[in-house]
Amino acid sequence: MSSLPGSSGAVYDRGYRPYDGPRGQRGAATFALYKASIRRALGLRRTWRQKVAPFVLLAIVTVPAIVNVGIGYVSRNRFDAFEIITYREYVGVSSALLLFVALVAPDVICPDRRQKVLPLMFARPLLGTDYVVAKVGSIATILFAFSFLPQMVLFIGNMLVSDAALDYFSGHLDVLWKVPLSIVVLAVFYAAIGCAVSSLTDRRIVAGASVIGLFLLTSISSGVIVDQTAGPNGGAYGGLLNVLVLPLYLRDVIFLGHIDSESQLAGVAGGGWLALACYLVVLAVASGLLWWRYRWVER
Amino acid sequence: MWVSYDRKLASATLLSRAPDRLGGVSDGPLLRISGLTKTYPGVTALDDLTLDVPPGRIGLVGANGAGKSTLFRILLGLSHPTAGHVEVCGIQVARDPIAVRSRLGYMPEHDCLPLDQTAADVVSTFGELSGLPARAARQRASDVLDLVGLDEARFRPIGGFSTGMRQRAKLAQALVGDPELVLLDEPTAGLDPIGREEMLQLVDRLGSFGISVLMATHLLDDVQAVCDHVVMINAGKLVVSGATNSLLERTGLVTIDVGRHTDELVSGLARAGISAVAVDDVVEATVGDDAQMDAVRDVVAQLGLPLFRLSTRLRSLDEAFVRRSEELA
Repeated sequence: MSSLPGSSGAVYDRGYRPYDGPRGQRGAATFALYKASIRRALGLRRTWRQKVAPFVLLAIVTVPAIVNVGIGYVSRNRFDAFEIITYREYVGVSSALLLFVALVAPDVICPDRRQKVLPLMFARPLLGTDYVVAKVGSIATILFAFSFLPQMVLFIGNMLVSDAALDYFSGHLDVLWKVPLSIVVLAVFYAAIGCAVSSLTDRRIVAGASVIGLFLLTSISSGVIVDQTAGPNGGAYGGLLNVLVLPLYLRDVIFLGHIDSESQLAGVAGGGWLALACYLVVLAVASGLLWWRYRWVER
Repeated sequence: MWVSYDRKLASATLLSRAPDRLGGVSDGPLLRISGLTKTYPGVTALDDLTLDVPPGRIGLVGANGAGKSTLFRILLGLSHPTAGHVEVCGIQVARDPIAVRSRLGYMPEHDCLPLDQTAADVVSTFGELSGLPARAARQRASDVLDLVGLDEARFRPIGGFSTGMRQRAKLAQALVGDPELVLLDEPTAGLDPIGREEMLQLVDRLGSFGISVLMATHLLDDVQAVCDHVVMINAGKLVVSGATNSLLERTGLVTIDVGRHTDELVSGLARAGISAVAVDDVVEATVGDDAQMDAVRDVVAQLGLPLFRLSTRLRSLDEAFVRRSEELA
């Protein structure tokens, strides 16, 4: 510190100060990467252009809830209960967030490899598995939030416009666990696939196109196969190839206790179990791919 | 500007704690490497390397492909050795790589920073990745960016930085976790002469902060300028490891600058029995002992020549490297 004669002011030179405070290990590093990835995905601390896509998508997926609640309010004296979209169907609307995954997963994954940031990260107390957990976790968290917030709008809105809010609440208690569970199933699945596909390239545009391509390709091909081989109930095993709707089969099982009669798996014996098995296989493949891509830091 | 960081006050504060910092490490060698071998299919990157390195500023010297980067990867626990073992700061890397990485900072040679983020965000994030709480990481990011001369540019995206600024930002991220040892891979690569000089000054200062430095380079001048210990490797084999001063051997040559009077001096020295030749406006004399050195001084005085310079020529690190490599071969 230095000061001028007769002056109460002082100039401090911070210089280099060592750090003697608390220091975390792998958990802290993983959480730090998780937070940084969420910030990046949402465009926080970045230009306004980076913020447009995520928040426009959030607005879009919230529109059905707002419309439903709005019409319910306007028509509250004419209908006992107005419902243009059910909670189960609304989970399906969240699959529109696939676009978000195609946009965000490459942005969170690809630059680390392209800009050679990985060696710097792994020079910290961080392992390949920690990296994967942080990245997939961040995207899954945002997907969960973006799917859950509209559901909350729908639930609270419906409750408020109903004749008896408490009766509505007590009559829909099952929604309080079915919705979050379904959304977790959906969010983890899409996040894992998005990250796994993105890990294969360091170019964002290629990764984004590949994510959408994967879902479209499996969706179209399974549709063709189901059309050709459909049983009396309109479903066939080919429906299991549809990666896009695989988590929605599980959503049906969670909400209805069985596969929906209008789905591509309708009437397939053991369809729920088969869907669960396929879901786990796809998750395992995605996880294995991610482990393989980031295993080198542990060799 | 660099000049603003050369503050006596800061030096006084830092030097007061530096011995404590180094004291913790100096109980044992900073690096203890024993029989280290790393082979890739068809290539032996490191070949039975054994050495102890004390704390301080260490230069890791070798030509391209000598095994410097491989050694860095092994020190960081990012690559497993084929044989041998390595201790960093008293911790076996193979046993606890995470603990080792918590004590290290790493500055790679290549560009490695996210270009679309500000320097403050990037360095702060790497601080958190080093285990610092978010608030402390932000504070330290500000401190180290100030230290490396990027205080006014810290809120600018790194993509708009010059090569010199990027090198400084890379150094800042290596320092933000307050490491005991910083691994610098070619820190002066791509810098202009002024940038290089500033980077070397910065590396030089790290030692006074109590941070040990292992600087990989193929520029022996850089090592000679800032390092107090040198490790030379060639084709994966240890050429020499020792204090820089011990490698700068006296050559027995004395350089005498007497202006335009070189011929007079050469003749005078010959009469005194001292072998000398005129080389580029100076005289180089071969002296065997202190008595002959005194004789050189006396001849200059007797001839009444102006004496601008009288210096003993040291063997450069380049010569030491070449000579030791030839001895090994």
